[in-house]
Amino acid sequence: MKPISFILLILGVPLALMLLYVFLKGSMGLRKYILTRIALTLPMVFILASLVFFIMRVLPGDPVRSALGPRGTAEQAEHMRQALGLDKPLLVQYGIFLKDMVTFNFGNSMVGGHRPIIDEMSERFPATLELIIPSSIVALVIGIWGGTWAAARRKTIVDYSLRLYSVIIYSLPIFWFGLMLQLLFGIRFKLLPVAGRIDPVIRTTLQPVTNLYMIDSILSGNWPALASALSHLVLPTITLGLVLSGVFVRITRINVIETLQADYIAAARARGIRERVVVYGHALKNAMIPVITLIGLQVAILLAGAVLTETIFNWPGMGGYLVQRISARDYTAVQSVIAMFALLVALISLLVDLIYSLLDPRVRY
Amino acid sequence: MPASDQNNPEIWQDELQHVGFVRRLLMARKWYGADWWFVAISAVMVLGFIFVALFPDLIAPYGPDEIVGTSFLAPGAYPVVPVLLVRTDSTAQALMDLAVPENAERPAIGVIMGGPTATALREHAQEIDEQLTSGKTGLRLRPRIERYASLEELLNDVSSGKLQAGVVDLHEFEKLASRYPQLRTGDSITGETAAAGGFLMGTNEIGQDVFSRLIWGTRVAILVGFTSSILSLLAGLPLGLMAGYLGGTFDRLLSLVMDSLYAFPGLILAIAVTAVLGPSMYNVILAIAVLYVPTYYRIVRGQTLAVKEEVYIEAARSIGATRREILWRYIYPNVIPSVAIIFSVNVADAILTGAGLSFLGLGMPPTIADWGIDLARGQRFIQTAWWLITYPGLAIMLVVLAFTMMGEGLMEIYNPKLRER
Repeated sequence: MKPISFILLILGVPLALMLLYVFLKGSMGLRKYILTRIALTLPMVFILASLVFFIMRVLPGDPVRSALGPRGTAEQAEHMRQALGLDKPLLVQYGIFLKDMVTFNFGNSMVGGHRPIIDEMSERFPATLELIIPSSIVALVIGIWGGTWAAARRKTIVDYSLRLYSVIIYSLPIFWFGLMLQLLFGIRFKLLPVAGRIDPVIRTTLQPVTNLYMIDSILSGNWPALASALSHLVLPTITLGLVLSGVFVRITRINVIETLQADYIAAARARGIRERVVVYGHALKNAMIPVITLIGLQVAILLAGAVLTETIFNWPGMGGYLVQRISARDYTAVQSVIAMFALLVALISLLVDLIYSLLDPRVRY
Repeated sequence: MPASDQNNPEIWQDELQHVGFVRRLLMARKWYGADWWFVAISAVMVLGFIFVALFPDLIAPYGPDEIVGTSFLAPGAYPVVPVLLVRTDSTAQALMDLAVPENAERPAIGVIMGGPTATALREHAQEIDEQLTSGKTGLRLRPRIERYASLEELLNDVSSGKLQAGVVDLHEFEKLASRYPQLRTGDSITGETAAAGGFLMGTNEIGQDVFSRLIWGTRVAILVGFTSSILSLLAGLPLGLMAGYLGGTFDRLLSLVMDSLYAFPGLILAIAVTAVLGPSMYNVILAIAVLYVPTYYRIVRGQTLAVKEEVYIEAARSIGATRREILWRYIYPNVIPSVAIIFSVNVADAILTGAGLSFLGLGMPPTIADWGIDLARGQRFIQTAWWLITYPGLAIMLVVLAFTMMGEGLMEIYNPKLRER
């Protein structure tokens, strides 16, 4: 079984369970909402994949020529074009492209070892997941806690510092922030490794199952591998997580402030409920609904950040793969990676909307 | 909650509806207490950056590609200036003056062992000697080079007359100069003179001034930020107006495309576009402009939808105003303020994306003075030269911060209810 199937399993099982729950327990309105939502997700992936397809072909620049390099003969170019199906009319190519995307058959890499792209991606994709999941958790914890704290202490030094934090973090170029962390913790204090996912020696002792090194090492009880994977994860996670947390602090703060002005908060205060309970119990709980939706919209920042973080930390994920394939002028791989990213964006936003609809009773009628 | 005007949101928000954009700005101090300085500081910063971008040559001490000193000079560190050191009674001023006839005794010159001054002396003495021989002057310069471990020993031997001269680093000597009144410095033997105070932010791997490149890089950042934002504004504004006003299938289809684009990470699409187009500043501007069309489209469409149902639009329609008149004379002016705010934040985003692209080596041609490129170049020397990656990143952050803060401040002042994204 290929590692990518495990990953799809990890993402797919909760999604399927939630869908099942919605359709068994949910009301008619909720079911209809979810169906519309799914129906809207598909065109998004389709539009993005098509956009990339046409960008790659309409814009000037010949992929075959640049893949062969200056020494490629016209004959070789013709041969390659035929092998890749680039000699067919544009619309026929488009049809083949769509068919291949649906069947997850991305073809072979244009340069290098000509490996199937799906194989390369199944090694790379887990690395990206292993980076973005902990980073999102870091960002969520800091964002929700910080935002609520700022809202509770509105117009005090706490509020102003947290607002300043979120504005500064928002302006921080993520690639520079990562480099600064490397400089400080990797080079100045020599505390943490600055490149790669795991120590290459320890890597050889690890049996790949899911290619998520954390899970693999726990499954096989290989504790040195777990320690190595964790220490390699710290700096990239802090980089991506902190940069993302700025937006989250902002969103949470605004929504909690808005909720704190509601009548039921005044009523709760009038009943003498402690301020902590009012803020974290009553207000935050109700503010969470818009917060979740807005945070779901930040997937774009997360993935763009992941691409840059992976490049800086030499993290062998999808972003690093994309950049590497682009410098190799491997357009087949590039368009597949972007289609994969589109799928990821669509899946995550679908997941967020599902959570939202389950949390907010107003969606259910 | 106290019932004063400032703290009761309903009253002042209501009053805000009745004044124009400029007056809202002027009155902001009253409404917000402390927040107006937010806009003031950021506006000063933005104007400052625009000034730097327009007149980099006034501020930058050197040109963007000029090689001005030794490579890898730390910030503030003096470049080594090897100077000739002689007794005050000596007539020698330059290394050339120490040349002697063929058979005379060779002059003894002292240097610090293994330092850059020793290399400089060896190279320049040989160079001068070759000139002298080919010029058939009968003079030669073949000094006996005496190597010392410490500067003080060297200085003692020069002042006692054991050496005819020494070659030392000017700044090292200046620290001890008061203790050796009988010594004076001659010319720099390499012909280089030190920049006063060294280089503010050091030099890079080929000896360019980091500070000057930073200043020249502002031009690229501001140019990319403004041009791409203006382009996306020019596309997004009419599309949003039309979609919002006309509605129907046109609106639905366009919104679907725009929303897909909006949800997708812009940097990744820009990577694809610039990779196909090849490195050039215009391609970067174009790629970024395409990415941010949805931002304007969404805000303009939303505003249009909100304004469309107002009574005065109804009135305009009933007096027989055409569709175009309604769009441009009644709806458009209502949309402009929020577009202006988005524009400021958008310039910040565009600068950040542009820097990210050139950091990945995809945006600008590698010869241009650009912050992203400088960062990517500096990354290779992260082990030894921290200043190469620290300052360009700080510059990006400050510019982005200025534009973001201005947008944020304006947004809060103009419309306190419209605070998300």
